[in-house]
Amino acid sequence: METFLQQLVNGLTVGSIYALIALGYTMVYGILKLINFAHGDLAVLGAFIGLTVMTGMAGSGAAPANWIVIVAFVLAVLVVAIAGVLLEFTAYRPLRHAHRLSAVVSALGASMFIENGIMLIWSPQTLTFPEGIMPDTTFHYGSVVISATQISIVAISFVLMLALYLYVNKTRFGTAIRASAIDQDAARLMGINVNKVIVSVFILGPALGAIGGLFIGVYYRQAVFDMGWIYGLNAFIAAIIGGIGNIPGAMIGGLLLGLFSSLAGGYISSTWQQAIVFGLLILILLVRPTGILGERVAEKV
Amino acid sequence: MTIQTMRRVGGMIWVIGLVLPLIASNNWISILSIFAIYAVVALSQDVVLGRAGMYDMGHAVYFGIGAYTTAILNTQYGVPILWTMPIAVVVSALFGVILSAPIVKLRGDYLLVATIGFNEIFRMAMVNNVAGITGGPDGIFGIGVPSLFGYPIMSQGGLYLINWVLLGVVLVLMNNLEKSRLGRVFRYLKEDELAATTLGVNARYYKVLAFALGAGIAGAAGTLFASQLATVSPSAFIFMESVTLFAIVIVGGQASIPGVLLGTVLMFVVPQVFRDLAEYRYLVFGFAMIVVMVLRPQGIWPRRSRPE
Repeated sequence: METFLQQLVNGLTVGSIYALIALGYTMVYGILKLINFAHGDLAVLGAFIGLTVMTGMAGSGAAPANWIVIVAFVLAVLVVAIAGVLLEFTAYRPLRHAHRLSAVVSALGASMFIENGIMLIWSPQTLTFPEGIMPDTTFHYGSVVISATQISIVAISFVLMLALYLYVNKTRFGTAIRASAIDQDAARLMGINVNKVIVSVFILGPALGAIGGLFIGVYYRQAVFDMGWIYGLNAFIAAIIGGIGNIPGAMIGGLLLGLFSSLAGGYISSTWQQAIVFGLLILILLVRPTGILGERVAEKV
Repeated sequence: MTIQTMRRVGGMIWVIGLVLPLIASNNWISILSIFAIYAVVALSQDVVLGRAGMYDMGHAVYFGIGAYTTAILNTQYGVPILWTMPIAVVVSALFGVILSAPIVKLRGDYLLVATIGFNEIFRMAMVNNVAGITGGPDGIFGIGVPSLFGYPIMSQGGLYLINWVLLGVVLVLMNNLEKSRLGRVFRYLKEDELAATTLGVNARYYKVLAFALGAGIAGAAGTLFASQLATVSPSAFIFMESVTLFAIVIVGGQASIPGVLLGTVLMFVVPQVFRDLAEYRYLVFGFAMIVVMVLRPQGIWPRRSRPE
């Protein structure tokens, strides 16, 4: 029982990080029907920028002060959001009307470019995050250990997701985002500037992704340049589980995937953990390809 | 250039390739050897992706199954390399059928994600040394060389010729596929699946067949790959390899034989030649993929819309 609770806590933490990154995939897919393969690498870029700011301002290895941590997060979000918009303009916009696979290959190229850019700028080695970025108090309940870092990650993720949910569902521009996801042409006829919506999605998604990437670094206390694809892939699986294109779906999918992955690693086999996750993905695709919250789309004839 | 003259020119280039071992340096011969193997795999990827229109991003699995089949049969049971090839083809094709049968009904991107999943599961199965015969993360060493009429082929040039012959066979096969009913059925399914099924095409059967065909050809290339390098390991069949194969077809030109060959040169041979720039290689590579797609979304050498 206590192992179960411990895995639950760990799963919830990882799951909320997956959810943050999954939102970027799902928003882009919702509007452009494009798997943004570079999204995971953008999240990693966020982790590296945050780390550089923290070690640069607090000295390497030292615990950064709270305001430094905040500056690091803000800068990471800003830079990655700009990178996201640049990505949209250079790699995706020219291919808006081309065959879908051209955009997929362009996305794969962008992923390679960002990943290797990170390697060349920083290091091919694994970099360590300093201690004490977030409060490192731990709480013990029996043998279950919950760290304040875990609580912070989950809490911040929930606040961000709630904010995004309200923004997309309650504001005028959010309505435009949802309308563009349902039918771009109709949205355009209603006077919605779809290009502006697409740019906004490439700001919001990478911004949340950057925070997710930084959380990975803070939680595991390390970052390596090529971790983007495995975290990206997991986040993407989360988006599919929830129903790709569906924003609350990505949140639920992320949490479920985190829990499932932790429990599979804890109870079945840690060496097969990732394979089990992929097995689940294939099973879900076969049984319910539209995911938990996705709607069935009738095929256009 | 008409299709006929292109075929003639292509045939002539292939014949010139046969005499290359007499003049080219060993370094170039080994690069050409690798080119021939990867060209075969890329052409097999094209059967599934470019011709039948299924977004298969896990094709390295079938290449790997072929290579591992040869490696295991040769090192454990002493089966001669060339005898393992038909077995590798059958085993790979069988896996093509088993893995694709449940998923061919999935639409575009869903199929793509499922095949990525297969690729990762395959890699993990090899790393975790499934059934104790795959050698774990280090793979299998000491795979022999092929022998013809009892004579082992030890030289670079000899190995190259075998690869070159397989490439020739596969090119003839692709050329025939282009003209055959099967090839037209694939194209029809790709362009308009609904119309094809309405006219009585069993979509599922032909889609699984495309996977079986693509997987079988990749398996044959796997045999030669295992023997060429004398070793197989999981790292040669990772997701990145599948991505590269996928990109070759799209960058070169879907269902275009010269396009796929050109794509192979760009994605596999050029990086070999520029080994010295290893650090910047993939940065430039990724950038080039974006640039090519933006400038030529149809691929560098696209298929002609109307065969002459």
